[in-house]
Amino acid sequence: MELLSQISFNLQNGFDETVIDLTKEAVEKRIPPDEIMNNGLIAGMNVVGEKFKNHEIFLPDVLLAARAMNGAMEVLKPLLIKDGIPIKGKVVIGSVKDDLHDIGKNLVAILLKGAGFEVIDLGNDVPAEQFISVAIEENAHVIGMSALLTTTMPVMKKVVDMAKDEGLYGKIKIMVGGAPVSKPFAEEIGADAYSYDGANAVETVESFFREDS
Amino acid sequence: MRSIVDFTQEDIKLPRKEILRSQGIPDEAELSENFEKTYREAIDLFRELVEPKGIMAGITISRFEEVFRGEELNEQENPVEEIYRKSNYLALFAVTLGPVLSEKVTELFDYGNYAIGYMLDSVSSYAADILTNTIAKLLQSKLAGTEPMPSTWLVLSYCPGYCGWHISGQKKLFEALHPEEIGITLNESCLMSPMKSVSGVLIGGPGEIHEFVNSYPFCNTCTTRTCIKRMQDLKQGQSHIHGG
Repeated sequence: MELLSQISFNLQNGFDETVIDLTKEAVEKRIPPDEIMNNGLIAGMNVVGEKFKNHEIFLPDVLLAARAMNGAMEVLKPLLIKDGIPIKGKVVIGSVKDDLHDIGKNLVAILLKGAGFEVIDLGNDVPAEQFISVAIEENAHVIGMSALLTTTMPVMKKVVDMAKDEGLYGKIKIMVGGAPVSKPFAEEIGADAYSYDGANAVETVESFFREDS
Repeated sequence: MRSIVDFTQEDIKLPRKEILRSQGIPDEAELSENFEKTYREAIDLFRELVEPKGIMAGITISRFEEVFRGEELNEQENPVEEIYRKSNYLALFAVTLGPVLSEKVTELFDYGNYAIGYMLDSVSSYAADILTNTIAKLLQSKLAGTEPMPSTWLVLSYCPGYCGWHISGQKKLFEALHPEEIGITLNESCLMSPMKSVSGVLIGGPGEIHEFVNSYPFCNTCTTRTCIKRMQDLKQGQSHIHGG
């Protein structure tokens, strides 16, 4: 099996250490980093995503693959930067102010990274101002917010309103999610999208970039 | 009546099939070796780290009215109000799996062990529901032992944040119950710490008082929909997991 196929195969099976070793080997063999990323890692994650959609594998399997992907990306990232290869897109993500739930947000962050996006995870209890300021500083394409409590959902609207005030509305896409959040709520506050789970969040972010291209 | 309950490991049964169902995994699914390993590790960690505790305190209907009213943010029409008014016994309750489990989940995610972190979180969420069910059954058996209680009586739990009882209702509930005594605290957004904690009211009375038609406006946006199973169980005369 050729090296990139081996990377893809091992990633699909969640063998993170092997994936990292094979990625290092591919770099040593002077395979271009974007080729390793696209034809090895992302190719593997695409298979994982497809199997997940078809209920052939389940979230823990996806997370093991994502761990392998993230480990390998740590190896490739400096090389991609050095070669000036543009990233797929940048997402600023966090659980809103006063909300300390972060499992759902973490899953979205992991899956987005696994899909090749750069993710700036602000953690939980994130004030509206921080979402906006970091998105500006980092030239982010997307802000993703999570809330697990009805009492913290108004922070999402505050971020949307601040984005409007800062002239970012339409330039930076805003995606919301979390158990009490719904599509009607997202529409009501003027968010660009609502995502009901991690896989859907990845599809949503992918769709933003298809719209833009 | 006010009591603190030190649960044991035996009080938290972890039926594999049900846990996997709660993750959206069908019974007939073929699971990978990795998945099985992750599941086993999560169960072992859970057993090692869980510190289950509970507290409950009886409350009169008139006193509970005040607690339930909370910050005056409940839905105008809601099933909980209908149910507790018809009840024979009410008790406020809180249960927790302790702080260490949640800390471990955070640690696992921080160190990139996402799969096991997710699995431990999922098992813990399921276990918190089991513990709620257990305290309801405990009250039911206590009531059966102290007063003549027809066998058709049923004690079920209802919680702020569900079925039209606004989440801000936690504030008055905490003021009345003081679950701080078992280590549960509430923040400004009504979020409990430790995370894997549940609080609410246990409502005891004839089984039929718990039946309601789930066609309230907020039912459309409800993502738990556990009342459907509850109604089915009630019709079959079974006990079940808490519904709200």
